[in-house]
Amino acid sequence: MPHFDLSLVLHGQYNDWLLTGLRLSLELAGTTFALALPLALVVALLRLSPNLALRTLGAAYVEGIRNVPLIAHLLFWYFGAPELLPDDLKQRLYARNAEFICATIALTLYTASFMAEDIRSGIRAIPVVQIEAGRALGFGFLQTMRRVVLPQALRVTVPPLISQTLNLWKNTSIATVIGVAEMMYEAARVETATFRSAESFAFVTAAYLGVSLVITGLGVWYHRRYPVRTA
Amino acid sequence: MRLNLRTVFAATVAALAFASAAHADQLDDIKKKGVIVFGVLGTDEPNSFVDPKTREIVGYEVDIAKAIAQKIGVKAEFKQLAVAARIPELQQGRVDVLAASLTHNKERESQIDFSLTTFVTGQKVLVKTSSGIADVPQLAGKKVLTVKGGTQEPNIRKAVPNVDVVTFETTQQAFLALQQGKGVGYVNDEASIVNDYAKLGPAKKDYTILPTSISVEPLALGLRKNEPALKAVVDNTLRGLESSGEAGKLFVKWYGPATKLQFDKRSFKIDSDKI
Repeated sequence: MPHFDLSLVLHGQYNDWLLTGLRLSLELAGTTFALALPLALVVALLRLSPNLALRTLGAAYVEGIRNVPLIAHLLFWYFGAPELLPDDLKQRLYARNAEFICATIALTLYTASFMAEDIRSGIRAIPVVQIEAGRALGFGFLQTMRRVVLPQALRVTVPPLISQTLNLWKNTSIATVIGVAEMMYEAARVETATFRSAESFAFVTAAYLGVSLVITGLGVWYHRRYPVRTA
Repeated sequence: MRLNLRTVFAATVAALAFASAAHADQLDDIKKKGVIVFGVLGTDEPNSFVDPKTREIVGYEVDIAKAIAQKIGVKAEFKQLAVAARIPELQQGRVDVLAASLTHNKERESQIDFSLTTFVTGQKVLVKTSSGIADVPQLAGKKVLTVKGGTQEPNIRKAVPNVDVVTFETTQQAFLALQQGKGVGYVNDEASIVNDYAKLGPAKKDYTILPTSISVEPLALGLRKNEPALKAVVDNTLRGLESSGEAGKLFVKWYGPATKLQFDKRSFKIDSDKI
């Protein structure tokens, strides 16, 4: 077996490919996070709503989405869903970066379903007397959530949300199956061109691990700086 | 003896040293096992594909593989591989020989050995007629679709320097993406493109195969390096097929005028492993 030569992927053309892939992975993760977190909040509140229809809607979303593998979501949103669009919308989608857009949609829906459950758990960790006190002061459901419960729930929810963010970061690698040129895609391309799978995947492993450690470090910092206040 | 770290380490080093010294000949191993495992694509009609009626893998390369197995006197087993996984699976010993539409080129010669060239085809681009693209240079700046891990991507990039290439796990997904309009061109071996084009049926009029070939692809069987006995048997079987006329008959059976491909004559002979 040829000796392990890391400089092959640290300089030159192959390094460019891998860095472009890394940048796209980060863009995909960032865009998805920005969209998934608000959606997750909405779904969590739906599940806790006093209205039965809204509760059912929230539960249907979570159960329907999180029980299907991510790769199935990606293939559906890329090969299946766009074909159902009217023709002019479809052409406009394909004229832009359809792979990235469909991957973002699939990842957002998938990640939001897990984050919604974590947010819901965080809200449930706040003593119910807080909600009762909020209602007694005359606040409606949404106002109670916004002014009383969610600010307290935030500190509890952050560690599981960090966990979901880590999962999101790693799940971006699955977007390679619909042709998104992120890091795993570029690593496979380097491997095909050079036959050096060890160096190519060493780079990718280091990159995924590096960003994951940054995300984890952020969580540890937040937990130290803003510990959960016990009642 | 105490099972501490030092002992385990020493034992591992000793085992590895002996493992590399005892390198049996692959042909002997195959004869002892009574089975030869061929890595095939199984999705590339007519080289290797699943017959819808019998659910068996059949094709031009499959028939050649069976002839080799018969010559050695063992049973032939077929293992389906993804395009990108062919060479790694051969190198790691999970298949004995590759019969998987494998192009013989200089880059791959450093990794594996090749048999005599069994088929010569080009690589072409399939486009939708409505895209208005009449030949390969017009693909500049456009998006083309193909499979990961083959010679398609490097070839189209060489032919059209600023083309945008998106690759998928299988050729079927890339072809589906073309049909859905996600890209303007689909790149693959000419024989596969002609086969897919023929299978379109009435939709054929909406598609065009661009006239220029972007490369010449000599397909051959793949073998691990440093296995002279196996290579000799494989090459001799191929020479035998060629001289007896069997190779010509196989070409007609899978690519001839009665098939979807409708090639009327063979432009090559199975006689050389030089490219």
